[in-house]
Amino acid sequence: MFVEYTWLIPLVPMLCFVIVGFFGKKMPEGGGHVAIFGALFAFAVSVLVAYEFFTSAAYSAPGYVTAQIAWFSIGDFGINVGYYIDSLSCLMMLFASFISTLIFVYSIGYMHGEGVKKRRYYAEVSLFLTGMLGLAVSSNFLEMFVFWEVMGLCSYLLIGFWSFTHPSGDDAADNAASAAKKAFLVTRLGDVCLMGGLFILLYAFGSLDYLTVFDTAAMAAVDPNMVLLASLLIFGGVIGKSAQFPLLDWLPDAMAGPTTVSALIHAATMVKAGVYLVARCFPLFTQNPELMLFVGIIGGITAFFAATMALNNMNIKKVLAYSTLSQLGYMFLALGAGGYMMALGIQSGDTHLIAAGAVGYTAGCLHMANHAFFKALLFLGSGSVIHSAGTEDMREMGGLHKKMKITSVTMLIGSLSIAGFPLFSGFWSKELVLETAMHAGSYGVEGYLFTAMWVLAVVTAFMTAFYMFRMWFMTFKGKPGHGTEHCHGESPKSMTVPLIILSVFAAAVGCMILFGFDEYITTGINAAGQFQVGSGHGHGMTGWLEDIFMSAYTYLTVALVLIAIGIAYLMYSRKSVDPGKINRNGNSLIYRALSNRWWFPQLYNQIGWKLGYGVAKGVEFVDRQVIDGTVNALSSAVVGSGESLSKTQTGNVRDYAAVVMAGIVALFILTVVLFYLMGGA
Amino acid sequence: MIPIEVYLIFAAVLFAIGAYGVVVKNNTIVVLMCIELMLNAANINFIVFSAFTADVLGQVFVIMSISVAAAEVAVGIAILLNAYKARKTIEADSLTSMRW
Amino acid sequence: MFFEFPFEIPYLLTLLLVVPLTGAVVTLAMGGKRQKYAKYSAGVFSGITMLLSLVLLFTPDLSVYNESYPWIDTAGLRMSYILTVDGLSILMVFLTGLLVFLSTVFSAREKDRPNCFFALMLAMEVGLMGVYTSADYFLFYIMWEVTLIPMYFMISWFGGPRRHYAAIKFFIYTHVASLVMLIGIFALVFGAAGGGIADFSFEAVLAGSVAFGSTFQMLVFGLLFFGFAVKMPIVPFHTWLPDAHVEAPTAGSVLLAGVMLKMGSYGIIRVCLEVLPEGAQYWQPIMIFIGVLAMIYGAYACIAQKDLKKMVAFSSISHMGMVMISMACLSSTGIEFAIFQMFAHGLISAVLFMVCGMAGHSIGTREIPLLGGIAGKMPVFAAFMMFGFMASLGLPGLVGFWAEFGIIFSFYDYSVSADMIWLIAFCLISLLLTAGYYLWAMQRTLFGRLTDRIDLSHIHDVSRPEAIALGAICALIALYGLWPDLALGFVDGYASSLAASLGVI
Repeated sequence: MFVEYTWLIPLVPMLCFVIVGFFGKKMPEGGGHVAIFGALFAFAVSVLVAYEFFTSAAYSAPGYVTAQIAWFSIGDFGINVGYYIDSLSCLMMLFASFISTLIFVYSIGYMHGEGVKKRRYYAEVSLFLTGMLGLAVSSNFLEMFVFWEVMGLCSYLLIGFWSFTHPSGDDAADNAASAAKKAFLVTRLGDVCLMGGLFILLYAFGSLDYLTVFDTAAMAAVDPNMVLLASLLIFGGVIGKSAQFPLLDWLPDAMAGPTTVSALIHAATMVKAGVYLVARCFPLFTQNPELMLFVGIIGGITAFFAATMALNNMNIKKVLAYSTLSQLGYMFLALGAGGYMMALGIQSGDTHLIAAGAVGYTAGCLHMANHAFFKALLFLGSGSVIHSAGTEDMREMGGLHKKMKITSVTMLIGSLSIAGFPLFSGFWSKELVLETAMHAGSYGVEGYLFTAMWVLAVVTAFMTAFYMFRMWFMTFKGKPGHGTEHCHGESPKSMTVPLIILSVFAAAVGCMILFGFDEYITTGINAAGQFQVGSGHGHGMTGWLEDIFMSAYTYLTVALVLIAIGIAYLMYSRKSVDPGKINRNGNSLIYRALSNRWWFPQLYNQIGWKLGYGVAKGVEFVDRQVIDGTVNALSSAVVGSGESLSKTQTGNVRDYAAVVMAGIVALFILTVVLFYLMGGA
Repeated sequence: MIPIEVYLIFAAVLFAIGAYGVVVKNNTIVVLMCIELMLNAANINFIVFSAFTADVLGQVFVIMSISVAAAEVAVGIAILLNAYKARKTIEADSLTSMRW
Repeated sequence: MFFEFPFEIPYLLTLLLVVPLTGAVVTLAMGGKRQKYAKYSAGVFSGITMLLSLVLLFTPDLSVYNESYPWIDTAGLRMSYILTVDGLSILMVFLTGLLVFLSTVFSAREKDRPNCFFALMLAMEVGLMGVYTSADYFLFYIMWEVTLIPMYFMISWFGGPRRHYAAIKFFIYTHVASLVMLIGIFALVFGAAGGGIADFSFEAVLAGSVAFGSTFQMLVFGLLFFGFAVKMPIVPFHTWLPDAHVEAPTAGSVLLAGVMLKMGSYGIIRVCLEVLPEGAQYWQPIMIFIGVLAMIYGAYACIAQKDLKKMVAFSSISHMGMVMISMACLSSTGIEFAIFQMFAHGLISAVLFMVCGMAGHSIGTREIPLLGGIAGKMPVFAAFMMFGFMASLGLPGLVGFWAEFGIIFSFYDYSVSADMIWLIAFCLISLLLTAGYYLWAMQRTLFGRLTDRIDLSHIHDVSRPEAIALGAICALIALYGLWPDLALGFVDGYASSLAASLGVI
């Protein structure tokens, strides 16, 4: 009975967007309470829907509940609109609405001083949430794409929230404007690819409904090359949206927005949409092991590169941004490795391999959920720090622990979790990711590439622990900086309460795996031969747990994490090791490479400038000089020849008379000549 | 009887003199007079042909032609007077306002 | 249909011509002391016209409004006064009524000779309505030329500094094209008559078109296509458009981009595709090429523009290129979405040109390099501008997206059947470029530091009439975006029957 009201989940935040957008000016806090109500309502409905779904028969038998109505049609192909609920969408809508609620509550304190701009803020975040929730419950690709793009728009608006009249000056405003544009354009590049994928799917399957596209029989009837091309293009969209290599450059810049927006983008919405889409498209993607290999490699490379960039960054938000990229890389590595095994299993009919692949799916989704909590916590914590310290530069912080106990402790929990400290939630999912990557390394011809990715992932785990604790120590321990002196104590309740709630979840959510999370979020092929998410078509839970604790690799990772935390402690808290010695005070090539993000931004700017503005200049020249030049030349030729002919009009009456005479004589002669020529007498 | 060619040659010569004057002379009064010469050359042709073919229509036409010419001269002189008033000259070379 | 208009208005289509014509005369008479009433008169007459066109949308059977009277029937020629509305023209008629009324509202504060200004707009409406409703080539051609004259005076009397150049260029360029078209029309009519009485009605020509040979179709298609396509416009015959737009007053630009450009694509579908299917087959690759060229070329040209209005003008070229490729697919989907895109672009470009016009008179300049950070000073203006830009770059949920999605899908369909699947990449690139130039323009005008290069003391945000006009169009853009079937429902039947007659479904 609740499932029929699924459409309320995106609709209520949408209504809040409209209400706040039009009437927010007169409301207290710029309509913030309306936005919170919308998010909370969406969460409540999500809980009811999820509860009903998991307890219903539909959960185990087809594994989904869906309903659609016809929207319009493109030629012969009908486009529907409706909802599609399965375990994956339940997971998405639950954590997105829950975390958004907390972020909105937090915003009441954080955005308090923004004045009339608050209305815009709350309207836009409501729309953002609409996008994410709509994406989670959509029943077909096109509907999903609409919400996908709505999120793109909202990220543009929110990253550019301070793109004019910025509180800290004109340069920051310019920066925000540029970052917003970059975010939209880079994700748009991905979206355009995704759209191309949709055309191929629509043409090949005659419909974009998940049910039709993911139908095993339908898939078998379609040209595999087209499926591969469509999958590649869809993954292109994912790369843009989730900021994977090589389109990872926009996300760090997106820090120009308010910190709450960063939390929203990184934890609850936007970048998670890409992970969701890959998980959603598993039936499609697992048609080709090579594609899944590609997904995994992109994930592994991103995880590694992003982590390196975080190593020496001084901006607290940028460190977190890189860590998001890196963690997203983990998710794609897990999905890629799992999907790879699954694809091989489907090809060879090996059910054991399919089950092994399902672990990757579980790992990716679990890490997504975990990451949502600890990243929201970390961003909100950093927001709390920025709010009271008035700076984002970690060199100006330090020693904040004494002034901001709650923030400090909650952020420590978040850092432990993201670093994969044993028994914190990040540990479970990260180990699962590494386990899958390792496992995938032993199958197939190109499997060794996954082993390489595993190495990268382990190194990344080391770096993650290092830079997260570097951040924590630099901020909360050590000598107080300018910002610390400026700090006026702990943030207001509306900010700390969400932090506390989040820290509980950040520490514990990962332990869901111990209570059968993987029974709900897993994938496999059911009795009807169809792909199904959830309802325990997975692997034996206990076997996996044994694997983790029996494997030497786990202890290797844990040891590396502990060492990294130790190094960070020595460098930034005890200060007994001087990092300046290692990087030659910031002059070593590697240090400069890292601070310049491996020179990716310069490269992209060059390419973008040349391909965009350079060509445009040429086109403009052709347009004005060649094409319009021809037009103008033609008209001046007409006018000019007229003018030169008009010179014969001397205005002198005698000349005219002479011409008349000459004309008469000429006519006379002509007549005579013709007369004779025609044989006249 | 004087042959018709003589009259025709006479009219042609008269016409040529008139045309020459129109093209060459700078004084517009003289140009006007030369136009009269050309007109009268045509009139002579009318009369001659009328006489030689015993058709009175030609002579009727000459009378009309003379009256029209008189009116023309009146208009022409009036234009010249106005031009003189405006420009203080009736030199054909200096009345060039119809040029491009 | 969820609502049907309860009764039939006699002579409705004639009224669509007569009401604005009367309005033009009445408004023109309001010179001198009565100038301040000119806008009310114009508003009333264009409002009535809009309501009349709205009635059409709620009429289930449009054929009841057909009108046909003999006009000139002599010397082997038969020209008639025939008016009809069908699935192709109904959206255009509605668009004309809507945009003329809203641009009248928008220009309510016009101070300079308002009686002439509004009279010209109403006169233009007569021509536009005539083009979209006439079903006789002679009437069609007359109406086609009638639209030209008010536009010419609109630009040359109320335009910017280079208005005379632009007006003359606009007039001569499109007039030459329509003369070529006239030759094509004569060829059609006399060809269809085959020595009998030359009947100019659409129906008679269509009936006679079965006798056309391949070569004839090919040649005449070329003539007509050139005539119509210059109006659309197509690269490389487009250069009159940016100049005309830059110099035209805002209301003129709105009508020029919103409705007049559609005359070109309307003509191609109505005349070229309906009557000359074989010619269409022959010209298909060329049309595709021209469309793709216009899309990419227009988008690139936009990036380099410094004048906001010129940028929007080039974006029209790019978007009309989409209409071109869509028509050129010669499929039911393609034609349906070509018409839908014409409608969508009409709405969106109206917003864009209104916004550019406001930049011109509220801020004082449209030069992008001179602007910056305007959003802080003019939030409502910024919101409308952003809405318009987002709609134009194809944000899902707004009307432009569905049009583009359908177009690219039908183009994909074509490219698969032509075994050139890579063609679709051009469409996707143009989408990306479109996003690029709009966002870059917004970054430089609305965002960033507040400009110090211009005097901002006289700056004022959107006035009430402007907000009403813009708000109404934006609401429609969102409405049709959420419910595209509202518009597609009209076009569906027409498109599939035309595609059937083209032999490609």
